Amino acid sequence: MAKNTQKKMPKPEHEKTVQELETPVPDLSVDYSTVDHEPKKERPMGREHLRSRDVMPEKQLFEFAEYKPQEAERTGYSNYSYWKSVWQNFLKKRSAVVMSLVFLALFLFTFIAPAISKYDVNSLRVDANLAFISPNGEYWFGTDNLGRDYWSQVWYATRASIILAVSVSFGQIILGVIIGLVWGYVRKLDRFFTELYNLVDNVPVIIYMTLIAMMLDKSMLTMGIAMILFNWLGTARNVRNLVLMYRDREYNLASRCLGTKLGRILFRNIFPYLISMIILRLALAIPGTIAYETTLTYLGLMDVSMPSLGILLRNSRNFFLDYPYILIFPAIIVSIITITFYLVGNAFSDACDPRNHL
Amino acid sequence: MSEKNIQAVDFDARAEQILAREPLLSAQDVEVTFTLRGNKLTAIRRTSLDLYEGETLAIVGESGSGKSVFTKCFVGMLDKNGEITHGSIMYDGKDLTKLTEKEWLKVRGKKIAMVTQDPMTSLNPLKTVGRQIQEAVELHQGLRGRAARQETYRILESVGISDPQRRYRQYPHEFSGGMRQRVVIAIAVACRPQILICDEPTTALDVTIQAQILALIRRLQKEQNMTIIYITHDLGVVANVADRVAVMYGGQIIEIGMANEVFFDPWHPYTWALLSALPQLGVKGEKLPAIDGTPPNLFNKIQGDAFAPRNRYALNIDFLEEPPTYDVTATHAVKAWLRDPRAPKVEQPHAIRRLEEQQGKPLVTEAASYHPHLDPNREPLVEVKDMQVTFGSGRKKFVAVDHVNFTIYKGETFSLVGESGSGKTTIGRAIVRINPITSGEVLFRGERISGKISREMDTKVIRSMQMIFQDPMASLNERAKVDYIISEGLYNFHLYKDEQERQEKVQKVLQEVGLLPEFSSRFPHEFSGGQRQRIGIARSLIMQPEFIVADEPISALDVSIRAQVLNLLNEMKKSRGLTYLFIAHDLSVVRFISDRIAVIHKGRIVELAESEELFRHPLHPYTKALLSAVPNPNPYLERAKTLQVYDPSVHDYSVDKPVWEEIIPDHFVWGNVRELDGYRREIEN
Repeated sequence: MAKNTQKKMPKPEHEKTVQELETPVPDLSVDYSTVDHEPKKERPMGREHLRSRDVMPEKQLFEFAEYKPQEAERTGYSNYSYWKSVWQNFLKKRSAVVMSLVFLALFLFTFIAPAISKYDVNSLRVDANLAFISPNGEYWFGTDNLGRDYWSQVWYATRASIILAVSVSFGQIILGVIIGLVWGYVRKLDRFFTELYNLVDNVPVIIYMTLIAMMLDKSMLTMGIAMILFNWLGTARNVRNLVLMYRDREYNLASRCLGTKLGRILFRNIFPYLISMIILRLALAIPGTIAYETTLTYLGLMDVSMPSLGILLRNSRNFFLDYPYILIFPAIIVSIITITFYLVGNAFSDACDPRNHL
Repeated sequence: MSEKNIQAVDFDARAEQILAREPLLSAQDVEVTFTLRGNKLTAIRRTSLDLYEGETLAIVGESGSGKSVFTKCFVGMLDKNGEITHGSIMYDGKDLTKLTEKEWLKVRGKKIAMVTQDPMTSLNPLKTVGRQIQEAVELHQGLRGRAARQETYRILESVGISDPQRRYRQYPHEFSGGMRQRVVIAIAVACRPQILICDEPTTALDVTIQAQILALIRRLQKEQNMTIIYITHDLGVVANVADRVAVMYGGQIIEIGMANEVFFDPWHPYTWALLSALPQLGVKGEKLPAIDGTPPNLFNKIQGDAFAPRNRYALNIDFLEEPPTYDVTATHAVKAWLRDPRAPKVEQPHAIRRLEEQQGKPLVTEAASYHPHLDPNREPLVEVKDMQVTFGSGRKKFVAVDHVNFTIYKGETFSLVGESGSGKTTIGRAIVRINPITSGEVLFRGERISGKISREMDTKVIRSMQMIFQDPMASLNERAKVDYIISEGLYNFHLYKDEQERQEKVQKVLQEVGLLPEFSSRFPHEFSGGQRQRIGIARSLIMQPEFIVADEPISALDVSIRAQVLNLLNEMKKSRGLTYLFIAHDLSVVRFISDRIAVIHKGRIVELAESEELFRHPLHPYTKALLSAVPNPNPYLERAKTLQVYDPSVHDYSVDKPVWEEIIPDHFVWGNVRELDGYRREIEN
């Protein structure tokens, strides 16, 4: 048995575990001070050192073995660690691991790209004579309809979109989780949040967005905040439903008996159970936000002075039949982002689910 | 509906019958392996079993012993990731391990049928009960239309469901738990199988219902001459039903014999330990002989005897080689090295002898004959006055607890016994203020703690009253370390000077409940049920409470582990002077642990008395019914007992209103004047 555990675990932890295992006997009649916690080197008769019959003469075989209560506790033990299992399970999904490396490289490259590109995205000049030059040594991704360098635009847009997508996604998930936790746990506020949810949800979000774009401004910051303010709904509802499942579990009752405050119950007792679902939602929200941004740009609700992936895609629609590269470059990048987060999100959320652990 | 047990059984005659016959089903060297995410788990480790016609064989074991898996092989219902990797199961001239799915259809249900544990999940909620039985009738007996319907009525009646025409049209949710289990049994016996496998059919049911279902199964067996395999972890149930008993541990049958042989003359140390740990055989006020540790993890390779590490009688060879099977008598076999001629001679432990001698009565010691009401110094700690708890409102209003009165005195264990849905947990939760009460009040040391109370009072109450929960799997936060779980109360009220003091407190309490201090850095899922329950106890003890509500703290635990927790609770009571409100449905446990007992029925306490007094002079008919239904781990007594069924309509409260009255000192009953007079006369005689 001891051999088995050794194989599975790195050495230092194994040694620690074995010591931890030397459980005192639950039967309180045993005097713990006499229990020997040292390794059993000097005791060849010790239980786990015997491996075959030859070890001792037959007469000895039929003598009573020394009774060691710690050994009794050992039988049911499994050496399992939650986060280690999560990580191991995640690493098993090769495609997710590869794609996350690709994405990481892509994101880092958006910071290097401006340094090596020949044109600065902030000082691109409109020149009709240079329009639609196919990719070549001078213009690596060619030029757009206004004769601007496409390479610098694409990488700037990628960085801007990723940063926008990540911050908006985090924002909406954090807001959604907080609202969902309170909505689900505090019975008195259930009615209020349900009505608020209905109020926001029953009007198409695009109408709110149009109103905000018209009344305030179309800058990325404003629209990003607007996206956060209207996209928490799904997460909140999902979180609330899960909280209802966990709310009256006995461990929460126990916390209430101990006088634990609401905030602590929510974040120590319930939040950790939702991690799997939250990570999945977060991962899917990132490509979702990029798609959303594209839609908003398409409808003219976003400021188009600086490039984003959405703007590039929108601009390309008039020309891509004649100049396919205009569409292909941003499309490839959007695809990489979408596929990565889809795979990573699924893999990680599966890995987080204890049912998938052994 | 009362079904009488058959009187005294003659096990010797049955043994002869069995020896004279060929086995009906014979499993040889069966090995079952499961694949779980790449890891192999050997659930059944080459074990053999012969089943004889007309007998009832009980298979006993803890969870994970493989008892369910083993019998599922007989009906070809192993889960998809499991397979029989060795051995044969001969039945009717065929090897069941080699049947194709098509061939199984001729055996499963028709020849060998199965009844499972949870009647709610084995019935289809969208079809009427009658329809579901009729399907089985049509499929297996080939009847159609009216004939099938008539047959269904007949079957419904035969399993004790009255008014079958009306019941036929009802849906499963309109049936109570016991009634549903009757329907499941009806479906199983509809095609008159030769072998019926009952997999813990009564575990989810209340004791009184359990007794009725057991009687039903026994009657059906007699009528249809079925052979029954009965799987359970409850030795009382075994004593009730079994002709023969097989004890399973770690995927093997380690002892098998006639019921009287296994109960009164067992020879495997595991059987000894299992029987000794029964609270029914415990001496009140003394420690139960608990089995240390937890059942083996079948993912690991087991060398030698699986029970060896927990076995106080283990020989050196037990760790090296698997023991062979030794015959004690022609019907009794034991798989233990202790039976080898070369092994030292040992006597069976005391408790085994006691089982035969004490005739079902617990040993009375000084501690047990202690009468709390004669103690002039006893002071009330918790007083419940006219407590009422209702759920819902308007037409859906449900009265869970109905004007309940009782007092718990300092230093005693007060038990609340009742069936599921009787309101016992609600009372416990109302006292620790998880559930608000509708009317009445709760006093703690004379001060009101129900309703709105001051902040300081609130803190005081939280610190002096704690709760232990039923399900050790659900009552610990899986995603927090043991250290956090135990210190939660300390954090809430900042009951420590610095980090070091907090850690010292955690270590101290861990040691107190018999766990190692190093455990604090681990997560709960690394522990077994018993260890987890001890962590839960440590969590409440660290608050230094005076009063603990223990809500069925052992009913979710394995038999071998229950004694550990009972011992710990008793130990804590002595060393810390704790007072317990012990909530349970199992009267045998309650008798062992409590000073006074209250019996609750449908939200109302019907009787309250000192522990031994209640067992000696039960007065209320419900208490009598409950006591008569408690399984006793003595096959002779268990089979000879008469079951009493409680019928609430015996009370006529239309004119004469019932009251809560103290009949003799410290013995309260709920009844009207006429009934109370009757009770008084009963006590005098």
